[in-house]
Amino acid sequence: MPNEEFERLKEALKKAPTPEARKEAAEAMRRYNLSRRGKGSRPTLVSLGMGKTYPNAIPLEKIPDEIEKNPEFYELMKRIVE
Amino acid sequence: MPTVLAMADYDLPTRSASGFILRYIAPRMEPVALFSFLDRRLPFQLFAPQADVIIGMGHGEPDIFGGQNDSVILEVGKYDPKEVNGKVIKLLACQCGVELCPDMVGNGAFCALGYKDDYIWVMDADLASIPWSDEMANACLGPVIDGINVLLDGEESQKALDTELLGYSINAEVEEDELIRSCIEFNRKNAVLFGNGDARIRARPKISLPLPPPPLILPLIA
Repeated sequence: MPNEEFERLKEALKKAPTPEARKEAAEAMRRYNLSRRGKGSRPTLVSLGMGKTYPNAIPLEKIPDEIEKNPEFYELMKRIVE
Repeated sequence: MPTVLAMADYDLPTRSASGFILRYIAPRMEPVALFSFLDRRLPFQLFAPQADVIIGMGHGEPDIFGGQNDSVILEVGKYDPKEVNGKVIKLLACQCGVELCPDMVGNGAFCALGYKDDYIWVMDADLASIPWSDEMANACLGPVIDGINVLLDGEESQKALDTELLGYSINAEVEEDELIRSCIEFNRKNAVLFGNGDARIRARPKISLPLPPPPLILPLIA
């Protein structure tokens, strides 16, 4: 069964990366994190990018903060969940 | 002909990916593994011309494949074509499928496998010393390992890509975590092959290790 909070996150990430949209998506990601069934003791989103404005490793609980402050990371999350 | 295996190991993503390659790929290779502090431009320049296959893992940009601590190993317009000529190349790095892979094929590589966008996955940071046991990371990195093993079995590069794509599809279907499933599908969408899909290399012996390797104790950059 699809996770409703994840569906809301997908919807929130469809908008252009305005500060308001980033804040809304960050809130949706926080709610998704709360609803996420625990898997792994310290889950971290990692990437093999070079010269990015976002870190290569972001603990899942820090993703909302990064979405809120960084339009480039918002766009990456948008591409990932679409 | 030796294999060149270039793997960075200095932060969480490179530790995770190099751990899988150390566990499942490195035992099949001749001893030209440019791992950790050896993963730099000069050793690569020395060994690459003799190799028939280059397997690289590190951070990347559209025109750059990086080594240890983001040193540049390959950059469009700044490498000698003999480093890639007549080789099968697999780069596990972000965005190298945009410019670098087509450029290497243009410079004589038989084929180059890479990714058009970021290569992303979810890992368990508490398993950084035994990354090969991380089931969350395995959802994305497992298919990469399967694809490389198909190459090392002497099969066509197109079959290696197909194996990787199939692995992603299977893992995405059984994955319950929506974020991890999205990462798998994202990587699947971005995997690309340039050049000759029939290109193959000499088959390497299959080795099954009865015991897992010891934990990695090299320090990571915070």
